[in-house]
Amino acid sequence: MQMTLTQTLVMALIQIVAVLAFIFVVVPMLTFAERKVIGYVQVRLGATRIAGGRKGLTGAVNKIMWWMGHFPVISFFRGLPTFMADGIKLVTKEDIMPAKADKFVFWLAPILCMVPAFAVFAAITFYPGVLGVFPTWVPIVGGLPVDGYITDINVGLLYILGLASVGVYGIVLGAWASNSKYPLLGGLRSAAQVISYEVPLTLSLLAPVILTGSLNFKTMSVELATGMSPWAILPLFIGFFAYITCGFAETNRVPFDLAEAESELVSGFHTEYTGMKFGWFFLSEYTNMIVVSALASAFFLGGHYFLPFGFQQFVPASWGWFAQPHLIFFLLKVFFLLFVFLWVRATLPRYRYDQLMSVGWKYFIPLTLVNLFIAGLVRFMA
Amino acid sequence: MFKNEELEINLGPQHPSTHGVLRVKLRLDGETVRHCYPVIGYLHRGVEKICENKTFFQGQVWTDRMDYVAAVSNNLGWAEAIEKLMGISVPRRAKYIRTLLTELNRISSHLLWLGTHAMDIGAMTVFLYAFREREEILDVFESFCGARLTTTAFRIGGLRDDVPPGFEAKVQAFLDRFLPCIDEYEDLLTENRIWKKRTIGVAPISAEECLAMGVTGPVLRAAGVPYDIRKAFPYAAYDEMQFEVPTRMEADTYARYLVRLEEMRQSHRIVQQCLDGMPEGAVMAKLPKILKSEVAEVYHPIEAPKGELGYYLVGEKGGLNPYRFHVRGPSFVNLQALPKMTEGKLLADVIAAIGTLDVVLGEVDR
Repeated sequence: MQMTLTQTLVMALIQIVAVLAFIFVVVPMLTFAERKVIGYVQVRLGATRIAGGRKGLTGAVNKIMWWMGHFPVISFFRGLPTFMADGIKLVTKEDIMPAKADKFVFWLAPILCMVPAFAVFAAITFYPGVLGVFPTWVPIVGGLPVDGYITDINVGLLYILGLASVGVYGIVLGAWASNSKYPLLGGLRSAAQVISYEVPLTLSLLAPVILTGSLNFKTMSVELATGMSPWAILPLFIGFFAYITCGFAETNRVPFDLAEAESELVSGFHTEYTGMKFGWFFLSEYTNMIVVSALASAFFLGGHYFLPFGFQQFVPASWGWFAQPHLIFFLLKVFFLLFVFLWVRATLPRYRYDQLMSVGWKYFIPLTLVNLFIAGLVRFMA
Repeated sequence: MFKNEELEINLGPQHPSTHGVLRVKLRLDGETVRHCYPVIGYLHRGVEKICENKTFFQGQVWTDRMDYVAAVSNNLGWAEAIEKLMGISVPRRAKYIRTLLTELNRISSHLLWLGTHAMDIGAMTVFLYAFREREEILDVFESFCGARLTTTAFRIGGLRDDVPPGFEAKVQAFLDRFLPCIDEYEDLLTENRIWKKRTIGVAPISAEECLAMGVTGPVLRAAGVPYDIRKAFPYAAYDEMQFEVPTRMEADTYARYLVRLEEMRQSHRIVQQCLDGMPEGAVMAKLPKILKSEVAEVYHPIEAPKGELGYYLVGEKGGLNPYRFHVRGPSFVNLQALPKMTEGKLLADVIAAIGTLDVVLGEVDR
């Protein structure tokens, strides 16, 4: 059935809202999870209450949370309102701009950081197929199928990589526009870091591209999970570790969080940012984590299928549910990788600037090049 | 068109990793440190001058507030310096209890160093693990003298009170679970590749330079000089204790890390010996109601967790307070090494160097 223009637009809008809702739910939950996971690693409770007095709304919420502490499993979720409190705080904080800041760029930088982080979701396939059909009584889009992706463009991966690399401009420009020394150092570090890690990151993603001969997100994720020769497991395996490490560097997370190295540069490029401007930087960092996790799980961890690294091909069709793609598999893999981000943060120290560079250029670029060669061989043999 | 300009940056006095109010003026060429100049004095209270106007008993309270993470060993130095000045001999039991508490304090000071140093380098979990054990030591102090940080633990001539009931069991309980805890820190750091990269060869300072600048403590021992006042000029009950002085030859941040971890193990050994061989008897010497000094001059060094802590006292005839009081603070002297350690290195190494020197600004500024 051919959709009319209105129907296409409305359908796309619905999907966009759904994806945005997904991001805006996952990111705050991720901050909550960060407190909790790191809290548990560090033998403490993590968030258990929110700031505020004994009276009023915060007092009531805190009382409820105190009461929740009496029950074994429920007590774990005591700090849940923190993410709402965080959001309210970010939005309502006073917005301070340094007197000598470049006003326009200072304002532009968080947007430059955030928009690409959100826009890449357009090309990410959450489920390779139809998620469901609208009931016929729904106006305009009634009876139409809902795809598990917003768009299915042929150069999906190129689009994602291109947009993701715009994000660093936000960091560099924000650092420069602050007209302050610590942010400047953070911004320069970030520029050097992102440029040197963009190369191995892209190279590690080229292995799946060679293996499948496609840049289309959906085709790639399905092909990589099911249609590979057993030899492809090796380049996918190496590629995964190279990619996820470079992904840590791309998102400025520990152990590569040099741009905001707290103990060195106070808080790096966003030292001078307050309120929601800081909030956008914050949001884009966490959104980028989701993007990296989504790409890693789609291309290397078998995406929407059950087993990672192309092992899915050994799953017989008789396994039924496990032999089919499911949204839940994809989301579970994404959440697992997000957990890895937090786990690593609680475990590892930070690299030094020059060591980061040498790790990138001396180890990751050769490694990913070799991996690319292996992928080429596998493709050639097949 | 290409102008090469050095960036002058103030690290501190309000900065997450200058451990208090240290201000370091840096001139950076990109990330490389061209010039490093520590600016101190933000926490100056004039402890030495104040102590000259307080009686010998009152002065001890001020020693708590110098190296506030190692108050017990500051107290020990003060008490022993005055005992030396007056010629008072302390009962053996008091000496043992003093040694025990001082070694516990060394462990707690090293734990604080380990936690903050690791946190500066980015490993945030060690901090909380180290503080978990430090908490127990502070509980021991609390049970002994009521205070946790500024203990004023000792009195001139011995101790105010004997240990409370259940004290030995509490210390023993801590000792029983502490050694595996050190292994836990080592699991997180010692073989961690990033930790090794960040510390091996970082902030080196040779034994000659250490001796020239008077740097002591773990920094000197990590450069291969086995100078430990507990062995060289034994005080308290250290002459009766069996322990080793750990040294390393590498003289870098990693070596200092290993030396301090080993020191914690040795302190554990000393505390165990104190506990096992605790003699019976009184804990306070017979003293006159009012202490009056003779004309005398003493310098009494002790091995504080950070290095040689020396108390220099001059007494006048019939004086109720010291005529002259001077402290040779290890943090202050060791901080001199910072420019030597960091010039020509990278910005991140400055943070590692401040951490590895283990300075406490209360003692630097006094």
